[in-house]
Amino acid sequence: MDCERIEDLLSSCLEGELCASEKRLIESHLAACQACSLLYSALRETREALSDFPEVEVSESLMSKLHAIPESKKKFSFSFDFVLKPSLQPVFATAAIFLTVLSFYLFNPDKKYIDRTIDQKIHLGYSQVEKLYAKAGSWTDRLADYKDNVLGSLKNWKIFGGKKDEIKT
Amino acid sequence: MLVNTYSKRVFNMAYQFAGSYEEAEDLTQDIFLKLYHSLTKYDFGKNFTAWLLTLAKNHLIDTYRRTKWEKTNRDDFDEHFFIVENAESPEAALVKEVNQKMVWESLNHLSSDIRMAIILRDIQDKTYEEIAEITGLPIGTVKSRVSRGRLQLAKILQEKKEGSDGL
Repeated sequence: MDCERIEDLLSSCLEGELCASEKRLIESHLAACQACSLLYSALRETREALSDFPEVEVSESLMSKLHAIPESKKKFSFSFDFVLKPSLQPVFATAAIFLTVLSFYLFNPDKKYIDRTIDQKIHLGYSQVEKLYAKAGSWTDRLADYKDNVLGSLKNWKIFGGKKDEIKT
Repeated sequence: MLVNTYSKRVFNMAYQFAGSYEEAEDLTQDIFLKLYHSLTKYDFGKNFTAWLLTLAKNHLIDTYRRTKWEKTNRDDFDEHFFIVENAESPEAALVKEVNQKMVWESLNHLSSDIRMAIILRDIQDKTYEEIAEITGLPIGTVKSRVSRGRLQLAKILQEKKEGSDGL
């Protein structure tokens, strides 16, 4: 077994979680490999150091601040924390852009000219839509004609009981 | 009631994670503020301690990621820790203290997720099941993080010792 694989097992070995065969394998590897053996010692020392970290006492000033929180909460029960939610950022960005554009329009000295231009554009757009609608109507008429022609010619086919060769006059 | 019962636990978790006493005080206040905000969301069927520690863990890691406070220098180890001597000999006590100082200083070299796993497992002595409940991760992932964290710390400890021996 290579050192890398042994490294993965050292932590479990430290906690006594390995089965007997894995433990024997580790022990034989550690006896032969000095680097892994030193790493295992360092690992054990690290764990001992961590487990012996003493607890720190909380200062009196912090305790009094913590006890004061519920009171302050009662005074200011409404929170604006939701404003800071990341999910609202696109909404705020869109609102900011909209308000900027709106302010350009509202406070522009040539507001009348802009109004007139917008009015013209709207009318132009409306007339174009009307034209398009009329064109679409003519297309439906054409399609109906095509459908009649196709159906008429199909009826003339022999397999449908018609005379294909007959020239329609 | 909540403050008396949980302040020490939350503060220690914040201090072990951040490494700065002042930072830990601010973080503890923020966590308790969040706790009062979120109490209405608490499901009474769940373990309250695990729920509170999840809230604390999330706040610590979120704050760390948001502010990117990456302090390479933590508070001096003996600034706030008072070592109780229970080693067999003065030499052993000295070695232990040196190791503790080195490991304490090395904690900020770990990523926030791995550091939190190490704090919960090796400093606070939680079981893997409890850590899985607090972090919302599968036990296998927790074990892997703890293992990676221990190895990283052990290697840093080795390097520091080699460095100090070379001087």
